[in-house]
Amino acid sequence: MGSARSDGTDGGGGADDVPVLAAHKILIAGGFGAGKTTLVAAISEVRPLLTEERLSSAGAGLDDLRGVVGKTTTTVAMDFGRITISERLVLYLFGVPGQERFWFMWDELAYGALGAVVLADVRRLRDCFPSVNYFETRKLPFVVAINCFDDAPRYDPEEVRVALDLDPDVPALLCDARQLSSVKNVLTTLVESISAENQSPRGMVSALPPV
Amino acid sequence: MRPDGRDGKWVRRDLGPVVRPYAVTGGRTEPADGEVLDLVAVVVAVGSDSGAGDDPIRQTPEHRKILRLCQRPVTVADVASDTALPVGVVRVLLADLILQDAVRVVRNQPAAQLPGNDVLKEILNGLRAL
Repeated sequence: MGSARSDGTDGGGGADDVPVLAAHKILIAGGFGAGKTTLVAAISEVRPLLTEERLSSAGAGLDDLRGVVGKTTTTVAMDFGRITISERLVLYLFGVPGQERFWFMWDELAYGALGAVVLADVRRLRDCFPSVNYFETRKLPFVVAINCFDDAPRYDPEEVRVALDLDPDVPALLCDARQLSSVKNVLTTLVESISAENQSPRGMVSALPPV
Repeated sequence: MRPDGRDGKWVRRDLGPVVRPYAVTGGRTEPADGEVLDLVAVVVAVGSDSGAGDDPIRQTPEHRKILRLCQRPVTVADVASDTALPVGVVRVLLADLILQDAVRVVRNQPAAQLPGNDVLKEILNGLRAL
């Protein structure tokens, strides 16, 4: 808070005295085992968050439904972390499960999100195709972070960019999801690219109504 | 099976809560006002912390717990996390409190357009300082 108020409006005790809280969300996407949980834990205050998964035919064979006829949802824990930027600004990280059966959650999570991180494992690059497609289609800014697993071969980010057919303005970078400094680099790269997009003439044009 | 000493919930470690999540909403799965609050929508209790808006007839212990958490602006995700209730359940209970004028929405989803560069800069500086 900048300065103490001296105009006598303090002390009402009502909620109006509390600074307005602005909350922004960043999605962490990627295939199963790509390191989403690790990344969220490396940089944020991890909080338990339960949500419901609608059981559908996509879960057939995975979810044992014997004896639970009529049960249409099940409770699942999400990767969820909170980064307190200031008293009135909070950043939330939400891990987006990559499996198809969780796709119903994506639109809700993506709505109003600042941007996304797609975590890639070079050994299973195709696992992040759906995430890349989704964010491209939704025109949500994203970066591709190649998680350097100890036992995985090293690729140049440019090779990964080609393999994923990324647009030139989508950053691709190496990261270690266990390291705070590395995850910081991923998130600042994302926010910088959002900032650059804000200022680019292309961004201005797309903000205008179609003629 | 016994009430857990810490929070009094009936749990069996291997099976999860004995009470189905939507039992605390009376089986309702949709918010009464039809509005689905975003995970980062900010809500706050109306009035002071004196218990105004506290309606023991219409409010369950879960409603009152949420009301206490809303004494200062909080996000839906934080309410869900702090109550250990699933997000869908929290949305239903918050909608009840909103209809009772006990809670109001400070801001629903973040603006559909990107935040300004001053906000982005603040986020960048905050991340770098971690």
